[in-house]
Amino acid sequence: MVGVSQLTLTPGMNIEAFESDADLLAACRRRDVRAFEQVYQAHAPRLKSIAFHMTRNRQDAEDAVQEAFLKLYRAIDGFHGQSAIGTWLCRILINVCYDVQRKRQREADPEENPTPERQVEGEPTLAVALRQALMRINVRHRLVFLLFEVEGMRHSEIASILETPEGTCRAWLFEAKRELKRMLSEVRS
Amino acid sequence: MIFQCEDLERALQSPELMPDARAHADRCPRCARELYLWEQISQAAPGLHEEWESPGLWPRIRAEIRADIAARPAPSPWFRWGRWALAAAAVMAIALFLLRPWKTTSPGHDFLTDDALKEVQQAEAAYAKSIDKLSAVAGPGLEQSPSPLAAAYREKLLLLDSEIEELKATVASNQYNAYLQAQLASLYREKQKTLQDWLQNAKRN
Repeated sequence: MVGVSQLTLTPGMNIEAFESDADLLAACRRRDVRAFEQVYQAHAPRLKSIAFHMTRNRQDAEDAVQEAFLKLYRAIDGFHGQSAIGTWLCRILINVCYDVQRKRQREADPEENPTPERQVEGEPTLAVALRQALMRINVRHRLVFLLFEVEGMRHSEIASILETPEGTCRAWLFEAKRELKRMLSEVRS
Repeated sequence: MIFQCEDLERALQSPELMPDARAHADRCPRCARELYLWEQISQAAPGLHEEWESPGLWPRIRAEIRADIAARPAPSPWFRWGRWALAAAAVMAIALFLLRPWKTTSPGHDFLTDDALKEVQQAEAAYAKSIDKLSAVAGPGLEQSPSPLAAAYREKLLLLDSEIEELKATVASNQYNAYLQAQLASLYREKQKTLQDWLQNAKRN
């Protein structure tokens, strides 16, 4: 039962923070919507960016994040804290994005040309070339590159998300950069 | 070690070979170019992080979660009967405890809940009033702005208002439910935060 002190509404009061991961997870298991909101506030920006790079579309990216949260909510009883909740959520999101990609491939008209890569106004040339080259490299290599170099995740987290040994993740990152370097060299020469 | 051009790839995988690679690159323009490009990729990568405002996303997720709660399948008849039996036993135990037919009752025990409810209702009214003031400040700019961001904020506030009204109706029929009161409080906080975000955003622009 929620205590009266927690119910009292004070203007200007922010959402209470669950201080430890254990508190947060316990609250999520109680289906406390505020706990899920805290998870959302902490992880949504990174999740949206990852989903965007995988689906190449902001609307699809938001839909994927929404779906990932619902899956998290429904499966929270099966999560026993083997990894951080954000890591688990990221794994769910990546699987959702794969589903979106498969759906898009089924729906795509084979006659239709793929959407050209957009160029952001004022974006440095290298960033544009990198964005385009990234779309052409191996999917697993790309994913590791995105998580490590773009989103700043650690190899241990990435290994947990992809359920792959850390050494393999490092090797995939190296392969990704090697492929990107080769493509960028071709563009420059 | 005598570092040669063929060793460069190995050095890119092994940080301990990098000093040798750099020393070699000082004398070899081809390897210097390769090394420069390798480092440039890592420097440019964080710029590919995509960020955009999506004030309607969390309310959509929350609405889906609430719908999920509402749509949960009813428990099996066995489970239901078991729960009824437990509930009946609990009611009996509470009734016995409160009435205590074997003792004279002392007045005043069950007023605490009413007091707490009154306190919550007063706080809620004060909070709603302060949010109304905030709405009055944010309102004109928000209503008149043609930007997509303003449209997203308007949509979010509409969603929140409708959720607040819906929950208020539920709370009215179940005033002593602390969980519902907490949910209502959370919605008010969300509305306040949305209005504050919008005002900050308007100030920046």
